Amino acid sequence: MNATVGIVLVSHSAALARGTADLAAQMGAGRVRVVAAGGTDDGGLGTSIDKVRQALGEADGGVGVLVLPDLGSAVLTVRALLALDEPLPAPLEVADAPFVEGAVAAAVTAAAGRDLMSVLTAAQEAWHARKL
Amino acid sequence: MQESCEAVVMLTGDLHARPAASLAIAAAGFEASIAFLVGDRRADAKSVLSVMAIGATSGQQVRILAEGPDAPQAVEALRDLLAQATQVGA
Repeated sequence: MNATVGIVLVSHSAALARGTADLAAQMGAGRVRVVAAGGTDDGGLGTSIDKVRQALGEADGGVGVLVLPDLGSAVLTVRALLALDEPLPAPLEVADAPFVEGAVAAAVTAAAGRDLMSVLTAAQEAWHARKL
Repeated sequence: MQESCEAVVMLTGDLHARPAASLAIAAAGFEASIAFLVGDRRADAKSVLSVMAIGATSGQQVRILAEGPDAPQAVEALRDLLAQATQVGA
């Protein structure tokens, strides 16, 4: 199987990140690395640079990683990590998208073997997808 | 060469999340643009969120419309998948 774009879900809640990752991974037919980075280092509500860093490493299959934050302030943690100038998976994009819908759309698009920019677009198009 | 092609499938079960994902993954593998039409609703077959939102249920007819160089292959593949994916227990 060819490598697919990896996905990192950054949430303030470990349970929310894990549950969304499970759902997205299954929708991606088991072909996509969807890694949860939820909660603080001591298991509380919040985000953790170390968890995001570790998740990026786990999600990296060599063809790019999409990072999806749950709420605006999770973006700050992701940006703080990117600003450290450490070696990180490349290419890497941060998606501005609804969390559950974006994760599912991204996983399905990655499972189809599409590139990082297509996966990013699929996640961000979730803003326009009505469910009713 | 642009070709257009279509087929109709009668659903034997509701179109839930996992089959919708399988359809979108398969559709993304074709160059043709592909739509599912149910009543007056239309979904982009390559968008899983769009396919789920169409809310297709057992007994409804789904029209598959494809346009593009591989339209016939796309319609054939999605017709089969749609028939399988909505079987009870899928």
